[in-house]
Amino acid sequence: MDEILNDAPCGLLSFFDDGRILRINATLCRWLGRPREDLDSGTIDRILSPGARVFYQTHFFPLLKISGAAEEIYLTLQGGNGELVPVMVNAVRRVADGSAVNDCVVVRMRQRDRFEDELIQARRVAEEASQAKSRFLSMMSHELRTPLQAIALFAELLASGKHGPVTGEQLDDLRRIRTATGSLVALIEDILNFARLETGKLEVRMERVEVAGAIRRAGSLLRPRFEEAGIEYQESAVPGLEAVADPVRLQQVLLNLLTNALKFTPRGGTVRCEADASDPTVRIRVRDTGSGIPAADLQRIFDPFVQVERTRVPTGQRGVGLGLAISRELARAMRGDLTVDSEPGQGSVFTVELSAAGPEV
Amino acid sequence: MHPILARNNVRVSGRGSRTLLFAHGFGCDQNMWRFVAPAFEDEYRVVLFDYVGSGRSDARAWDPQRYGSLEGYAQDVLDVCEALDLHDATFVGHSVSGMIGILAAIREPARFDDLILIGPSPRYLNDGPDYVGGFERADLEGLLEVMDKNYLGWASYLAPIVMQNAGRPELTRELEESFCSTDPKIARRFAEVTFFSDNRKDLANVTHPSLILQCSEDAIAPSAVGDYLARSIPGATLRRLRATGHCPHMSHPEETIEVMREYLAAAPSRREQAAASPSIRHRESWTRS
Repeated sequence: MDEILNDAPCGLLSFFDDGRILRINATLCRWLGRPREDLDSGTIDRILSPGARVFYQTHFFPLLKISGAAEEIYLTLQGGNGELVPVMVNAVRRVADGSAVNDCVVVRMRQRDRFEDELIQARRVAEEASQAKSRFLSMMSHELRTPLQAIALFAELLASGKHGPVTGEQLDDLRRIRTATGSLVALIEDILNFARLETGKLEVRMERVEVAGAIRRAGSLLRPRFEEAGIEYQESAVPGLEAVADPVRLQQVLLNLLTNALKFTPRGGTVRCEADASDPTVRIRVRDTGSGIPAADLQRIFDPFVQVERTRVPTGQRGVGLGLAISRELARAMRGDLTVDSEPGQGSVFTVELSAAGPEV
Repeated sequence: MHPILARNNVRVSGRGSRTLLFAHGFGCDQNMWRFVAPAFEDEYRVVLFDYVGSGRSDARAWDPQRYGSLEGYAQDVLDVCEALDLHDATFVGHSVSGMIGILAAIREPARFDDLILIGPSPRYLNDGPDYVGGFERADLEGLLEVMDKNYLGWASYLAPIVMQNAGRPELTRELEESFCSTDPKIARRFAEVTFFSDNRKDLANVTHPSLILQCSEDAIAPSAVGDYLARSIPGATLRRLRATGHCPHMSHPEETIEVMREYLAAAPSRREQAAASPSIRHRESWTRS
């Protein structure tokens, strides 16, 4: 081998598909602390650590064989005394004299390897902390829900007059207590649901769901609020359309999307819920004629605790920004998805995708 | 379309009354069969698929509990069989798919006629003085570390690989979307499930004829493992290949095709023999019911 290549500040290695080493330069032999004669006739397995051998066979070689090249592959080589040498490898494949040869450039990465170890460790710690946070959220929500339900119950009891006469002013105050408690319970339900989704503890029970019926049920719950807000609400679904979904969770997603549309559509506007299918997917769309969402915010709106600035929503209606995050996770838990299209000034379309239920057997 | 066919990215080709169901191993996807599977399309119906979490499968269907053991992967195989209404198929599994196929065949024997296992291993870890799996726990921790480090820059790792196929843009596109594009978390879990599982007890329950293809100098499934399997699986045939390494269907496709053809050609007589043997007769009645 050319003198420059032999002593270049990187390892050079060529091997056949069956792993036999064709050429290896002096630098690489030196890093491995092994004489060239020892390696020239051997196979690549001999210089890889046991873990890297598996990675080579399951990832690196298939990649090289199918795509003809592999870049930035991390491997650990094994020196003559058993010490590990972390390296980065770039490889290309060429055909020479009828047989394929794989040429590699090998760069040693001692410092960087330690740095990456630290990064991976830091990521693990962060992931664990995030999971601990979710568990804490879930526990706290449980703990908060019980006393809140007691408050609502006893306010109701007082209002009923069972314990003695109640004045009109007292009744008004008790109603306020109940309304405020109701909002808090709803918020806590959201946080609980979100924590369950994050920790993967949410269970879905998939079955055939008649889509038009699901839309009708969600719509009927919100119709009075649409009327109150002066918004026209419309429904249309292809009759007989069936999706594979968890009916309770689907209801939750539809209610979230419709409530969302209600919040962001001005008086005189229209909200429309429609469904159709193109095999094998059912699409349920909630369209509004609201102010729309700026392109820059479109991806963020599904992130938890994000509320895109939309000034016309009164503070009391804003919530904590979990509705869309939960809805998308629920859609995904049902093996579907939730996406959004929006044009500022034109309104938004939220689309729930679900698998269509095949013909009944 | 049946939802399983999309979920597992099932591809059916070829013609013939018998079906070869190819199951890829850990780390890759159905692409790894591209040097072998086409050779059988003239005589057989060829079925390829990706396990959930691999290749172009629907990763949303991945569930940590189901895929926390090889049984979950065996269920993928059986789901594909059901979706295509397969009976008496020949299962061809590489590496961990050898054990996955065995589990599937034990659970629903009528789906399969026989098993071709390429570089299988029932247990990768050494165990006591009597079992040589080839690995110590620390070796496999080393694999997980190498995987973690490669997934750290996963996107940049995948992006450049497709450039080499400039002459065949359709192949490039396919690779771009699929090859090894597993989610790092799923891949890590698959590695743990593969390399830390122990299926030695299942081997005695195999009732199908099987062919074990053992490579020489296989760093993942050494010859001692091939010998162990041949001793432990009733009715198994062990064939040693000249091919070295762990992926003969990629590194030495010609030899692999030849050995598989030979085995499949002998199949009718083998079936007659099987019908005459009492241990297999039970399975035959299964097939008819």
